[in-house]
Amino acid sequence: MAPILEIRSVVKRFGGVAAVSGVSLSLEPGRIYGLIGPNGSGKTTLFNCITGVDQADEGEIIFKGRRIDGLKPHRIFHLGMGRTFQVIRVFPELTALENLLVVTTAGYEEARRRAEELLALVKLERLAGEFAGNLSYGQQKLVEFIRVLMTDPEMILLDEPAAGVNRTLLNELLDAVRRLRDQGKTVLLVEHDMKVVMGLCETVFVLDHGEKLAEGAPGVIQADERVIEAYFGR
Amino acid sequence: MKRWFPAALLVLAVGLALYPLQATGYGVRVMLQLFMWIALAQSWNLISGLTGYVSFGHVVFFGTGAYASSILIVTLGWAWPLACLGGGVVAAVLAFLIGWPCLRLKGPYFAIATLGLNEVMRVVASYYEGLTGGGNGLSLPTLHASVEIYYAMGLVAAAVTAVTYVIVTSRFGLRLMTIREDEVAAEAMGIDTLRYKLYAFLLSAAAPGIVGGLSARDQGYIEPLSVFPLIMTITMIVMALFGGKGTIWGPVLGAALLFAFQEVVWARFIYLHQLLFGAIIVGVVLLMPRGILGVLQQKYNLPRTI
Amino acid sequence: MGVLITPSMIGQVVISGLLAGSLYAMVALGLGLIFGVMRVLNVAHGPLLMMGAYTTFWLFQWIGFNPYLSLLVSMPLLFLVGVALQRFLVRRVVDAPELSSLLLTFGVSIALVNLAQLAFTSDLRAVEYLTGSFVVGPFALSKPRLATCGFAIAITLGAFVFLRSTRLGKAIRAVSQSREVAQVCGIDVQRIHLITFGLGSALAAAGGSLVAVMVAIQPEMGQVYTFKSFLVIVLGGAGNYPGALLGGLLLGLVEQLASLFLTSQVNEAVAYVLLVVVLLIRPTGLLKGRV
Repeated sequence: MAPILEIRSVVKRFGGVAAVSGVSLSLEPGRIYGLIGPNGSGKTTLFNCITGVDQADEGEIIFKGRRIDGLKPHRIFHLGMGRTFQVIRVFPELTALENLLVVTTAGYEEARRRAEELLALVKLERLAGEFAGNLSYGQQKLVEFIRVLMTDPEMILLDEPAAGVNRTLLNELLDAVRRLRDQGKTVLLVEHDMKVVMGLCETVFVLDHGEKLAEGAPGVIQADERVIEAYFGR
Repeated sequence: MKRWFPAALLVLAVGLALYPLQATGYGVRVMLQLFMWIALAQSWNLISGLTGYVSFGHVVFFGTGAYASSILIVTLGWAWPLACLGGGVVAAVLAFLIGWPCLRLKGPYFAIATLGLNEVMRVVASYYEGLTGGGNGLSLPTLHASVEIYYAMGLVAAAVTAVTYVIVTSRFGLRLMTIREDEVAAEAMGIDTLRYKLYAFLLSAAAPGIVGGLSARDQGYIEPLSVFPLIMTITMIVMALFGGKGTIWGPVLGAALLFAFQEVVWARFIYLHQLLFGAIIVGVVLLMPRGILGVLQQKYNLPRTI
Repeated sequence: MGVLITPSMIGQVVISGLLAGSLYAMVALGLGLIFGVMRVLNVAHGPLLMMGAYTTFWLFQWIGFNPYLSLLVSMPLLFLVGVALQRFLVRRVVDAPELSSLLLTFGVSIALVNLAQLAFTSDLRAVEYLTGSFVVGPFALSKPRLATCGFAIAITLGAFVFLRSTRLGKAIRAVSQSREVAQVCGIDVQRIHLITFGLGSALAAAGGSLVAVMVAIQPEMGQVYTFKSFLVIVLGGAGNYPGALLGGLLLGLVEQLASLFLTSQVNEAVAYVLLVVVLLIRPTGLLKGRV
C-alpha cells in the first residue's frame, strides 16, 4: 500500500542550529503513529514543517502522493490533513459552535448539522452557544479536537493531546482516536506521556537532537538501549 | 430589546431624512460631517476592528478618493455622484495594490507599512501637477449641493453600517475574526487568511474613497495637505476605539459622541486636539480596550450583533 | 534626468549614503532593541528622537551648550523618559495582542507631538553650530554629516560592545531570544524590559541631538524616522541587531542614489517603495531575522 505521508531527509535550521537534520519517515494509511523524543529533539519543529507552519530548508514532504512542503497551511488543510496544537488554540471570542462552523466551506445547514453531531459525540451540545474562551481547559481541548474533524480529514496530527487532561477525558480522547483509525484515518501524535504512546500507537518514531533515532513497535522501542539512553542517559 | 430597535432605527432614519427641510445650511453641513465620520470610523473598524490588522494610514483612501473623483469631475466632466463612486473604486484598487504585498505580514509590519503610505500619496498628489494641480490644489466648478451631499453621505454611512452588520453575522465575518483571535490557528484550520484580509481591506477602503469624493465636492477645493492629514486617521481610530472596535454600532456611537464633543467643547481647545485624542487612545487601550459598547456587551452579555 | 553620471558623482553618493546611513542604523537599533526584546513596535520612536533634538536646541539656545556635548544630557534624559513610558504604560500591554501595543504607542506618539507643539510651537528651529564641508579631491564631505556619522558610529559600536560583553547586554539578548528561558535562568525580565525601553529611547534621542545640527527642528520631525527605522529593521531582519547596521547603511545608500535621478520630493517615496519591494521579496530581511 502506498504511504499516505512520506518525509524525506527534511532539514530545518534556526539560525545556526539544525532543529531537524535529515529526518525520514514513512506512514501507512489507517494506522496510529507516535512521535516521541526528549525535549528539544525537534518533534514540534517537524510537526510544523509537515503542516506548513514552518518551511523545511531541505528535503521533501509528500502527502497522498503530492509534495506539500512549501504549501501554506490552509492549502495543506484542504488536502486532507488537520492538526491540533500543543497550547490550545480555540478562537476564544467565538462560540463553540462557531469555532466549528468557520472551518468548513460547506453550506451553512450542512455545516451546522455536522458541528452539532460532533458536539454531541463529545457530549458538549449544551455548550454550543458558549464562548470558547469561557470553557474549561478540558472542554476547550475537546472543541479543538472535534474542530479538526469537521472536514473529515484523512490524516490527523495531534500535538500533545494528553497534556493537562484528566484520566476520564483522556480515555475518551484515546477511544475517539481508535475509532478514527478504525474508520481508515491515519493519526500521528506527538506525546510525552509514555503510557499513552505505548498503549495507543502501533508504530513509534523516536527523535533525538533532530535525527531519527529509532522506529518500531512500542515494545521494541521501550527496550531499545539508545532510546533509554536518550531519555535517561547522558 | 430586539423588537424596538429596528423601529427606533426607522424613526431615526425618517427624522434624518426630513432634517434638511427644517435645518439651516450650517446645520445640514454639521450633520453631513457627522455622517462622514460615521462612514470613516465604521470603515476603519472593518479592517482593524474585525481582523485586528491596524491601519495607521487609512486617510489615504479618503484623500485618494477625493482626488480621483475631483479629477473625474474636472477633466472628464462626470457628474459628481458617479465621480464619487469612481473615487471609491480607485481607493479600493489602491487598497488591493498595497494590501497584496503588505497583508502577508504580521500585524505590526502591516501597521507600519500603512504609516508611510499616507506620506507617499501626499507626495504623489503634489508631484503630478498636471493632473492634480500640485501644491496649488484643485478647484471644482461651483455647486451648491449641500443637501444632496447630506443625503449621499447619509446613504454611505448607512450602507457601511449595513455591510458591517451583514459581515458580522455571517461566516465571512467569523473568519475575519479568527484572524484577529489566532491567525496561526486560522491558517491551520484552512482559512486563507491573506484572501480574507484582502477582502476586508478592499471593503474598508471603498467608503472612505466615496466620502472623500463627496467631501471634496462639498468643499469645492482640495489640496494635498487638506485631504491627507494624519489627524483624520487619528480621529477615525479614536472614534472606533472609543465606541467599540469589532462591534457593529460601536463606531457609530464613538463617532456621534466624539463629534458632538468636538463641535461643542474642543473647538475651543483646538491646540489640545491631538493631545486629547492621544490620551483617549492610551486610556481606551489600557482601561477599556473593547470600547464603550464592548464593555456593555460583556457586562450585560449582549449578543455580538449590537 | 538626462544628466551625465560621473564616477565622482557615484563616489559622492556612496559617501553621503554611508554618512547618512550610520545615523539611520543607530536610531533603528533603538527601535530594534525594543521590538526584539518586547515585540513592541514603538510608534513613538520618532517623537522621542524629536525630544532629543529639542533638548539639544534649548541647551544651545539658552546657554550655548555644545550640541555634541548635549548628547550627554539628551541620552540619559530620554533614557529616563523611556523607562517611565515602559513602567507606566507599555508594561501593561506587552502581553496583550500586538494590536494593543501598536495603538498605545501610537497614542503616546501623537500626545508627545502635540505636547511639543504646545510647549515649543511649530516654528522651525535650527542649531547653527557647524556648517560647511571638507573638500577632499572631487568629494565634498559635509562637516555636520561627518560629525554625526562619527558619533553615530561610536555610539552604535558602544551599544554593540555593551550587548556582547556586559552581563546586562547578554541578559538583554537572552530575553530577546526567549523570554521563558531567560526567566528560568534567573533574569529579571521586568527590569530588562525597563532598561531596554530606556536604551531604545536614548538611542533615538542621540539621533535627535545629532540631526538637530543639520535639519529644521519641529514637533513632527520624528515621524519620518519612525518609518525609516522600521524599514531598516525589515531590511536587516527583525531581532538581528547587526542587521540593523547593514540595513541602515543600505537605506542611506539607496536614498542618496535615488536623489541622483529623482527630484527631492519623490525621494520621500523611495523609502516606502523600498519597503514594499523588500516585503514582497524577502520579508524576513536581507539577513536572517524572525518575522
